[in-house]
Amino acid sequence: MAWKRRSTSDFNAEIAAHVQLEMDRLREQGMSEEDARAAALRAFGNRTAAEERFYETNPALWGERLWQNIRFGMRMMGRSPVTTAAAVLTLALGIGANTAIFSLLNAVILRDLPVRNPKELVLFGPGHWRGSVDSVPNRSWQLFSYHFFQEFRRKNQVYADVAAIDSILMTPHGRVGGAARMETVGAELVSGSFFETLGVKPVLGRVLNEHDDVTPGGHPVAVASYAWWQQRLGGNPSALGTTVTIGSTTYTIIGVSAAGFSGVTVAQSPDVWIPLAMEKEVSPGWNGLEKDWFQSLYVIARRKPGVGMGTASADTNLLFQQIMHEYAGPSATAQQLENLRHARIDLTSAATGLSQIRRFTSPLLILMSVVAVLLIIACANLANLLLARAAARQREMAIRMSIGAGRARLIRQLLVESALLGIAGGSLGILLASAASRLLVGLVPTGSQPLPLDVAPDATVLAFTLGVTLVTVLLFGTAPALHATHLDPVTALKDGRAASGLASHNRLARGLVVAQVALSMVLLAGAGLFLRSLMKLLDVPTGFDRENVLLMGVDFPGAGYGDDARTERLMRRVEDRVGSIAGVKGAAFAFVVFDGGGWTDSVTVPGRPVSENDPEVFHNIVGAQYLGVLKMPVLLGRALTAGDDGASKVAVINETMARLYFPGVSPLGRIFSVGKSAEWQNVQVVGVVKDAKYMELREKPTPAAFYPHAQHAGFLYNFLVSYTGEAGTVVPRIRRAFAEFDPNLPVSDAKTLNDVVSESVLHQKLVAQLCTLFALLAAFLAAIGIYGVMSYATARRTNEFGVRMALGAEAGDVLWMVLREVLGLVAMGIAAGVPLAAGASRLVESLLFGIAPFDPPAIGAAAVAMTAVALFAGYLPARRATKIEPMAALRYE
Amino acid sequence: MSTREEKERLELLQGTLDLLILRTLILGPQHGQGIARAIQQTSEDELLVEHGALYPALERLEDRGWIAAEWGTSANNRRARFYTLTRAGRKQLVAETDKWRRLAAAIGRVLGPETEG
Repeated sequence: MAWKRRSTSDFNAEIAAHVQLEMDRLREQGMSEEDARAAALRAFGNRTAAEERFYETNPALWGERLWQNIRFGMRMMGRSPVTTAAAVLTLALGIGANTAIFSLLNAVILRDLPVRNPKELVLFGPGHWRGSVDSVPNRSWQLFSYHFFQEFRRKNQVYADVAAIDSILMTPHGRVGGAARMETVGAELVSGSFFETLGVKPVLGRVLNEHDDVTPGGHPVAVASYAWWQQRLGGNPSALGTTVTIGSTTYTIIGVSAAGFSGVTVAQSPDVWIPLAMEKEVSPGWNGLEKDWFQSLYVIARRKPGVGMGTASADTNLLFQQIMHEYAGPSATAQQLENLRHARIDLTSAATGLSQIRRFTSPLLILMSVVAVLLIIACANLANLLLARAAARQREMAIRMSIGAGRARLIRQLLVESALLGIAGGSLGILLASAASRLLVGLVPTGSQPLPLDVAPDATVLAFTLGVTLVTVLLFGTAPALHATHLDPVTALKDGRAASGLASHNRLARGLVVAQVALSMVLLAGAGLFLRSLMKLLDVPTGFDRENVLLMGVDFPGAGYGDDARTERLMRRVEDRVGSIAGVKGAAFAFVVFDGGGWTDSVTVPGRPVSENDPEVFHNIVGAQYLGVLKMPVLLGRALTAGDDGASKVAVINETMARLYFPGVSPLGRIFSVGKSAEWQNVQVVGVVKDAKYMELREKPTPAAFYPHAQHAGFLYNFLVSYTGEAGTVVPRIRRAFAEFDPNLPVSDAKTLNDVVSESVLHQKLVAQLCTLFALLAAFLAAIGIYGVMSYATARRTNEFGVRMALGAEAGDVLWMVLREVLGLVAMGIAAGVPLAAGASRLVESLLFGIAPFDPPAIGAAAVAMTAVALFAGYLPARRATKIEPMAALRYE
Repeated sequence: MSTREEKERLELLQGTLDLLILRTLILGPQHGQGIARAIQQTSEDELLVEHGALYPALERLEDRGWIAAEWGTSANNRRARFYTLTRAGRKQLVAETDKWRRLAAAIGRVLGPETEG
């Protein structure tokens, strides 16, 4: 269709000419000038309608008219700046909250890795486990040995390439470029095929290839991540050849990987990639390159083009079973073979990478629903606002309709006005969101570094926001637009206040308020559930003293210490020295601490048959004073002592282990064994200690055993100190004590066990706090809704209240009349909200602790809070109604 | 009040009005008022055209390239916008006329012979 540049003025000129010609004709027939004009206009009919239709047929003028609508809309908005600002802010809040949470969801679970064809990548297993497994799990496998990886890669048919990644990001201390200062270096151990499999290219130098991962200990090379190269090496091209010394090995930087690539794990950003062949050098004590059953690697593979998930899965499992049966060999136990029968590899798409912070997925999904509800409540407010404004503009609408404006045209005008609000709110919302999402990421403590999670709005986020804004505009704009234009101009013109649309306006407005109250109830009840669940969780007795205990990390291998008896003897000297500091009551190293993972393994007791139902025992290797430092009371026998350094192994076990493994007898002096290795056979029980929580607050009573490190050579990372007085004065003294032994020994910042415990419930805490915040916002918006509707309603009843008061009604009666109405609305809202809340809470059952999803206190508190907020919101207009001057009110009509 | 009814009437008239305009223009260039008058006169005042309704139709026809428009001077020396039938418009008129006649004949046959009331 041709692009027409015909202007409105040209069209108007034509119509003027038409009327003139018609007048000329009529005057020729002898009519007077005036009659002729009247007749000509009559014959022409509805001129506005003609113009309207002219617009309809002329696409070129759409833009012009849209612009006209926009200008008009802006004028209307400018005329009531406060209302407009309130509307835009409400929207910005709603859209901003949605965008912020969505940015997080996007960064955590939706965004594809910045690698070649991410959809072709698969991960073996779901990638939830970390650490190492040395048994034969009888279910879906997640971790694999280096041998398995190499053999699988050699024999597989369906993958273009296969890579292995250590499931733990190593964070040894090292020296960069020969500097004297030790610093933490995030080193990810990967197979030589890592970069080729992912299709990641270097921006400088070269990336690792399979020739860099052949001889254990023989490849001291590293690839720097782009971010680390920028931050630590100044983005300097001459950074190639820079050395990084970790322990006693010096690595050379051979290249820098592509910008934007930070490995395959979301929210984890390694500084360097080092070949797996260097595992022992990077982390002494964590070396299983030669062992078939030291399973600590994630395996990621790229499907050949055209190979579907089904084929890939079938081939993978076939080869997996074949290799595993080889490893088990002829000496396999019946149990191993049985487990192997159930063992399998479930392929997972690795397009979006894997993530340790996926535990935040369900909290994020919950928050996403919460903010969606919040947005709906905000929409209801806007709809109410527009309804009220439409009522005020009834005369304008009536006039425009009676001079021939089509209803469609008016609806379009009103929708354009809504869209303007939407765009303003949406833009402000994006600004709010980018600040808010960074803030949210900052709430996750990760030590000194912020969580490396890129939440800057990308195309997906912007598209989401645009979509949300559009839906929002339609949600809050449509009903008022339809409503405002559905009127009878004659009645409306006669008296705006008596027009027929009012009854239905009222019904709609009240319905919206009831819906707001109901939805706010859901959010408030949800917040109540999470808060109560959090309190229950924090009330759980940990079984150890968390008030006066400090935790520090000591990196022995970083300073070149081996995993041997010499290091262990140094640890004992450190414990004694620190224990003698003024203000320190005791000090002990520990293999694991609360919320720091754990080592669980099965235990055998001579004479006691092994059962499938035996729970695995939690093991910890600790300093002699450990139980005293944590104030874990000894119930039977004795605690560990400095004298437990002889050849006959001893252990203190907890109540649960005593009950399960030594039922009905005193466990003192009895013997048990852990696994197969010689070091862990025939351990004698010397004491029983009270149960405690070892890995997390939610855990059930777990059997546990504690061993003195004097009988198990090697270094331990965690250092626990119980103290009195101020931590601020004790910590420097402890640091000085370490420096006396070795000034180069890296010792981390100290935190209290209290911090450790509260960080362990971090995501419950975040959910509870954010839900509460959003629920309060929701209640606040509902209050504004109630305030608006009640203000409007009382203003309209000015006359009635005046009459009542003239007839002797007290201010209190009027106040009660209004508040009764508010209570009616709230009661309906609560009645609708309670079943909704009960239904919604069932969805979050898995995140609750210690309470049932239907929790009367939470729902009751929500109802009370909602009623209080509503009464407050209704009180203001009610009070205004009591101030009515009867005479003024009567004259007002 | 009924914007809706108006619209329905317009739709009912749409095809017919287009045809009438094209038919009028075959006699030579004419401005809007002239077209309106001509339709009214030749139909012996049977067809009452709301003059305003003419313009959207004219726009539409111009869009489709069946008529062309140009500002000129009327017989009594007024400025007016004159419409001319294009070649495509002529073809369209022939086709439409033929269609209309067949339709009218068909409807006539359905309705049966005229009877005196």
